[in-house]
Amino acid sequence: MSAALDDSDRQESIRMIRDSAAAVAPVGGDTKRIRALRQTLPGFDAAVWQQMGELGWIGLRVPEAAGGAGLGVAELGALAEELGAALAPEPLVAAGISAALLAAAGAQPELTALLAGTSLVLTAWQEKADTLEVPGTADGQRVFIPAAAGADAFLLPVREGAKLALYWQPAAGAALRTEYTYDGGHYGTLQPAPARKLADDVGAVLEQALDDAALVTCFTLLGGAERAFAMTLDYLKTRMQFGRIIGTFQALQHRAADLKMQLALLRASVEAAAATVDAGASGDARRAAISRAKVRAAEASMLITRQCVQLSGGIGYTDQYDVGLYLRKAMVLSNQFGSANLHRRRFVATAPETEE
Amino acid sequence: MDAIRIPAPAELDGLDDEHFRQVVRAFLAQNYPEDLRNPPKRLHWHENKPWYFKLAAAGWLCPGWPKEHGGLGLSPSKLIILTEEYERYGVARTNDHGIVMLGPLVIKYGTEAQKQQFLPKILTGEHIWCQGYSEPNAGSDLAALRTEAVLDGDHYVVNGQKIWTTLAMDANWIFLLVRTDKNAKKQEGISFLLVDMNTPGITVRPIINLEYHDEFCETFFDNVRVPKENLVGTLNKGWDMAKALLSFERIFLGSPRQSGYALSRLKLLAERMGVFEDATFQESYARLRLELEDLKALYETFVAKLKRGESLGPDVSMLKVIQTELFQRITDTMLEIAGENAGLLEPMEGNRNLNATGQFIQARPATIYGGSNEIQRNILSKNVLGMPG
Repeated sequence: MSAALDDSDRQESIRMIRDSAAAVAPVGGDTKRIRALRQTLPGFDAAVWQQMGELGWIGLRVPEAAGGAGLGVAELGALAEELGAALAPEPLVAAGISAALLAAAGAQPELTALLAGTSLVLTAWQEKADTLEVPGTADGQRVFIPAAAGADAFLLPVREGAKLALYWQPAAGAALRTEYTYDGGHYGTLQPAPARKLADDVGAVLEQALDDAALVTCFTLLGGAERAFAMTLDYLKTRMQFGRIIGTFQALQHRAADLKMQLALLRASVEAAAATVDAGASGDARRAAISRAKVRAAEASMLITRQCVQLSGGIGYTDQYDVGLYLRKAMVLSNQFGSANLHRRRFVATAPETEE
Repeated sequence: MDAIRIPAPAELDGLDDEHFRQVVRAFLAQNYPEDLRNPPKRLHWHENKPWYFKLAAAGWLCPGWPKEHGGLGLSPSKLIILTEEYERYGVARTNDHGIVMLGPLVIKYGTEAQKQQFLPKILTGEHIWCQGYSEPNAGSDLAALRTEAVLDGDHYVVNGQKIWTTLAMDANWIFLLVRTDKNAKKQEGISFLLVDMNTPGITVRPIINLEYHDEFCETFFDNVRVPKENLVGTLNKGWDMAKALLSFERIFLGSPRQSGYALSRLKLLAERMGVFEDATFQESYARLRLELEDLKALYETFVAKLKRGESLGPDVSMLKVIQTELFQRITDTMLEIAGENAGLLEPMEGNRNLNATGQFIQARPATIYGGSNEIQRNILSKNVLGMPG
């Protein structure tokens, strides 16, 4: 397990994962693919999804015995950061929840197909907006399923007494409605029709998987904010007005410095949370670390991408300019797996106060 | 807990980090005067000298100096631990300019004779130093300083005025940045000079600050004759020498302890004022706690660099800005909830832990000293982000 690796091995493992991201998100690549997929269904590239499977990304955190790579959340986070910078629409984070559930359920054929990228299994757990609670209402509509139109099957948590059972529902014939999101993707709303029971109780696994998804989403937001800021900084260094490069104006220099500080806090916060999780934290300590990162990621990524649009001037408000893509992505992701408000409340409920 | 043995000074740098931390804790518990913990104001020499001499007697006075000069020879990572534990215990600053600033500079740039003359007297407490850098017209733009030193035979003759000379009234020596070449580019005509405060022609005038405290002084120089062997390093290279010492300091200004201490006092105050459970307060308090936790995470990334033996770059300016602005937000919140007590001159109910006004006022200069936060943002934009102009 990754936690056993020493620090330099760990850094090496994270670096290799980062480098491997170039297969899908080449350094200096353009946004042509991303733009072409916007407001289409399923909104991602099946060939790229399969490639991600071949690269071992879908099962990055799944134990080796179950066919995964058995790596930590820091590795998956580094990968998500690169994919976030490239705006890749493939549902890697959402599929990670399903992988954890299938592994726990011992549903090996289904898991193998998911990890290979030859099928997409999504977990339809959510019944209302801005929540991490899973009521598991048997006939309750499941909402906000990212990339739902691309699913081959859904996993349905269903409350049975004190337990949260897991059911399989094929996508074929399912009552599914989709709505586009501002980044060009979509959410699905599903009417549950449980077909086959996979496990009797996945409550604890699902809770942890949702938290992991929240944390990995923080890394996606970090990658996007970094890239948007880098583009904006380039613009400030080259754009001429009043016969000067606008980046020579102190008002803009100080704004850029403020954004750089937010980025530094964002990175420190999410990397510290990943280290806490990989070190084996459990219970409230784990929840508090993740909630703290999600508050920072949601707020800082929104602040940075809004400011990047502002600093880019009129061009920043156009669809053709890439900076706006990052703002739209942040609009969608910052509230996924819990908003800043939700996580701030949860931080207060779970984090012990340190005595001074 | 078993009593921890305090090893001899020469052994301290060889301890593992966690053991060292326990030793520092035990040393403070055994030696630090209880009534000087978390003092509400910067202490004067007559107040902190018992602690200074205790440190000197134990051999702990100069933790960062090499052992051959009487220091503890601690690595940067142990220095950080030491500082963290001092802050945690609420240890007051001493008149430490000789220890922190002058000593390291003389060790690095001084002649053998200067080392022999000055270092032992810092260790014994015979020389108490103050720092003469800023001037009325050279604050953020320090390199514009005009206090002049002109060679006249075996002496430099110094004329001019320094300001914000912290605790100059307590000091008997001052280290100065002086202009020795008026024709060179402004950074290149500056030298570093050591001056006995008892030399005729020096006048010290305390400045009362917003805290009603006389921490700072103005120091005037009127034809002050300084032996020319008191110039440290190369003539006209004083700027580079002074600057080289500053970046390591900046991590201490970014230490989360100051904000952490203030936040814990904010909680006590809120409880006393009966607003702790109030939803509006809880919201701001949660935000401040989260800011503090993320500051700690960022601070740890810089500490980790030092522990790996890397030197810190200009990005350490971030810590100073984030920490000091958080400290201010916390103390602003103290005033907001203190009601009429927010106007009191002394800590409310005579309780040092309910000192809203004192904390608020002390937070004001934090964004000004050590390079104002505006200057830190200039550094970030130019030296970290590579912005032009």
